[in-house]
Amino acid sequence: MRTMLEARNVHKKIALDEDNVLHILRDVDLRIGEGEFVSVMGPSGSGKSTLLYTVSGMDRITSGSVRFMDQEIGSLKEEALSKLRLEHMGFIFQDINLLKNLSLIDNIMFPALLEKHVDKKAVHDKAKRLMEMTGIATLADNSITQASGGQLQRAGICRALINEPAMIFGDEPTGALDSKSAAEIMTILAEINSQGTTVMLVTHDMKVAAKTQRVLYMVDGCIIAQKHLGPYVESSDTLVDREQELMNWLVTNGF
Amino acid sequence: MFLKIVMNDVRRKKIITATVLVFIAMAVVLGSSATNIIANLMQSIAQLKTHAVPSDLTQMHIGSYDQGAVDALVAALGEHIAEQETMYLLNIEGSDIHFGANRTMVDTVQDISFVVQNQKFDFILDLDNRKLDIQAGEVAVPIYFMKTYGLSLGDVLRIESRGFRKEFVISEYARDFEMNSALASSKRFVINQADYDEMLEHQVGEMEYLIEFKLHEHGDLRTVRNAYREAGLPSNGPTIEGRLFSLFNALSDAAVVMVIVLISLLLVVVASLCIRLTFLATIDEDLREIGVMKAMGISKKDIRNVYLTKYKVVATIAGVLGYALSFLVVRAFNGNMRLYLSSDLSGSLQYVLSLFAPVAIYLIVVLYCRSVLGRIDGISATEALRSDIMQRGKHRKYRFPLLKNRFLDTSIYMGLRDVATRIKLYRLLFFIFIVCTFIAILPLNVFNTMNSPKFSTYMGIGQCDVRIDLRKTDTITADFERLLAELENDSDIEKHAAYITCSYPAMTADGRWDYILIETGDFSVFPLQYLEGTAPAEAGEISLSFAQASADGLDKKVGDTVVVQVGGVEKQLKVSGIYQDITNGGKTAKAGASLGLQHDAILWYMVNLDIALHADVSAKMAHYQSTYASAQVNGIKEYARQTMGNIIRQMGAIVIGGLAIAIVVMVLITALFLKMLLSKDMSQIAIMRSIGLSAKQIEHQYLAGTMAVLLPGIILGILAADYLGEILVSMAMSSMGAASIRFVGIAWQTWLVYPLLIIVVVGITLSLSCKIAVAEDLSVVLRS
Repeated sequence: MRTMLEARNVHKKIALDEDNVLHILRDVDLRIGEGEFVSVMGPSGSGKSTLLYTVSGMDRITSGSVRFMDQEIGSLKEEALSKLRLEHMGFIFQDINLLKNLSLIDNIMFPALLEKHVDKKAVHDKAKRLMEMTGIATLADNSITQASGGQLQRAGICRALINEPAMIFGDEPTGALDSKSAAEIMTILAEINSQGTTVMLVTHDMKVAAKTQRVLYMVDGCIIAQKHLGPYVESSDTLVDREQELMNWLVTNGF
Repeated sequence: MFLKIVMNDVRRKKIITATVLVFIAMAVVLGSSATNIIANLMQSIAQLKTHAVPSDLTQMHIGSYDQGAVDALVAALGEHIAEQETMYLLNIEGSDIHFGANRTMVDTVQDISFVVQNQKFDFILDLDNRKLDIQAGEVAVPIYFMKTYGLSLGDVLRIESRGFRKEFVISEYARDFEMNSALASSKRFVINQADYDEMLEHQVGEMEYLIEFKLHEHGDLRTVRNAYREAGLPSNGPTIEGRLFSLFNALSDAAVVMVIVLISLLLVVVASLCIRLTFLATIDEDLREIGVMKAMGISKKDIRNVYLTKYKVVATIAGVLGYALSFLVVRAFNGNMRLYLSSDLSGSLQYVLSLFAPVAIYLIVVLYCRSVLGRIDGISATEALRSDIMQRGKHRKYRFPLLKNRFLDTSIYMGLRDVATRIKLYRLLFFIFIVCTFIAILPLNVFNTMNSPKFSTYMGIGQCDVRIDLRKTDTITADFERLLAELENDSDIEKHAAYITCSYPAMTADGRWDYILIETGDFSVFPLQYLEGTAPAEAGEISLSFAQASADGLDKKVGDTVVVQVGGVEKQLKVSGIYQDITNGGKTAKAGASLGLQHDAILWYMVNLDIALHADVSAKMAHYQSTYASAQVNGIKEYARQTMGNIIRQMGAIVIGGLAIAIVVMVLITALFLKMLLSKDMSQIAIMRSIGLSAKQIEHQYLAGTMAVLLPGIILGILAADYLGEILVSMAMSSMGAASIRFVGIAWQTWLVYPLLIIVVVGITLSLSCKIAVAEDLSVVLRS
């Protein structure tokens, strides 16, 4: 399997004041292959989200190396890094983070329209298709105050997909949703992954992690264990088994 | 506790708080300076008047003179006249006064006379407001001439006339209440009695009399003036009332003060807009804090106190700073006043009056804050914690979808739609750009208008190349006729017209007779632009100056009848039109030659002429100047420039000052606005960066938005300065006699150089201040 993302000895620290330094990530090594669906679990403050933001280039690392699609992202200038994010990465956040003064469809189309000489009609058709896929086609012209949390999160997924990224990063994408909406979002992400897009999620939710292929477990800024669950096939029996298996594994790791 | 919250808030928003402070301070500086200058002006005119004791009525006269007849009048009008004194002026040609390396005063439009200090009143003073006492061989030179010719104490003036030659050392500046101003057309040089007698003996110069009257406190000016006329006493020259001197003295400084007051008012508006801008830009954040405070159970009153205290502290510091700084500004502006009116401007009045501005501005700031905070009172804790006050309760139709953009880069389009969707925020910036452009362009318009040849319109003169004034002498009638004959036959003269001004008794609105100046001649040769109606074309018509037609003068409209006595015969004249004139106190009139002359009251002769294109203008002027001894030949532009010289010079300083203020304000506001906008939009910017927009693309959005506000702001500012400015300036000038000023704009300055300068300066400010911070981790903002 080709490597999509590789992190070596990634260290991230922040200075709290002159004397105190907080080590958020400690020499993390990580490799994610193309087409993988990986989740990261761990207690609060373990560094899960920081790992996601550093390997995606949103946050700078203190030391170590991160390669994405064979490019060392630590050495990229801001503009090149932005271009990389725009063209090859998609992000889904717990807080949704849509732009306030754009409608849902404009939020979705916006990253695609930044490309010069783009076929606007094609972008619009694509956004419509994505909205249909995620079940929010009727809300296209609504403002973000006229949609529910689940609907907004779907719009966030559509925006992440509009430029057909190689990898999607999700920071607790179901964290603020009810269990039904969360399950629907995971179904969509699984479908995207099945089409070849690599996905990396941070989550607290066992049900969410159980649907991913591999689960990383972090404590105090280190990945201390990982569990290969294998590809998930939609069925309630398998899900319960996977959850149980995951639970047992987590407990042995001190969860 | 509250103070601690306030201090923390200030510390957190250092730049924003500092900029608001700077604005309030600037408003105070200008407000205080304006009041201070007004206070100084009033005080120094009053002081100068006390020391100089100017006359209440002055009759100028050239020709034979009988002091006995005047004394008889004084005796008869003892209840009105307190004192009378006649000053004997020796009028010297500018060309006869030599100084420096072969220079003379030939180019001045002022009449120059050498005098001896008066004994009773109308004293000419030194710079310490003491009566001048000049020793033999010395001369005190009017301030106007010291400045015009760059003379210094110790320099030598040499009179050379008709073989007579005498040198004087300049020992003093002459501060002359009556004739200080460039608007007064004569200037008095003070010499010693012995030197004066020597010059008189050698028949140097020409004798002119200033027959001066000082009235009792309740003496009636009109009674004295009319009695003087009716007694047929000497009157070959203008009659000047005392209040005109004060007006002249005040005018040059008043014009400056008016512009400063206007700029200050506009800056107070800008400062208020800034405070509003600050509130709007930071209110989301404050709202959350207010929500937290409300949720904690802190009362509305206490919450209001936290925010009000902050602005009270800022306004107080700014007020004190601005008040102190205003004295430096005043020092810079007062140079003129210190020289012409009073060297000692240390009275306490200015300190008290200038306190008005900081107090007024403090109140404006506090009242404004109260009204904004009043709105916050109505919001519940949960609302405050959850909502965005800008969006509250509004569900507008979605406008400007991205697909509507056909031509623009998406970042630029996003910037423009941001302006459209947050118009409330951007319109403040828009107003500020309009106001600043207005502040920059208005003085330029006034300056260009005053410098334009068309300005003669406001001096009651039709546009011509040259004017020749003939002074009243014994040979004047002969000179005048000879001049007209020569002009008639001179092929270099394209056209010319002669005008004679006499003093005529006219019936006032209250049925009394009062003397008015009427200029007679053919007014079709050099047409003057009329405010209303037309020039007098037929017999029986008269046109009045704006001031003469106003309630303060004859109180007439076009079509009304004016009754005038000509040679003792009453004539009914119909008012054909009203024109603008700021000369002779603004009160003049014009009538056709058919009116007839008032031979015993001819004041002056004037000829206007245009010189043919092929002819050498200066050679022609020199020819007529040398041929006619009693003539004064001036280029019309030079005439206006010298008469209005002081005001134009000061206006020039204001053009620079206005531009500097406008640019400083625009730079500060633009930087502040962007700083606030970027801090307000921090989370939205982080979202855009997270989805792959580069810092540069985001910067372009904000640049496009601000530019979209700047460009129409400049255009509207220029239009406002052109049209609204004309109305304002006309209102201000109407007291001088010009009620309808039409700006003479120089298009390449107004529409090209200034806008370009503003765009470049604001553009540089934008590119320096619109910087998206990329060093910080994105997640810090996204997850906060």
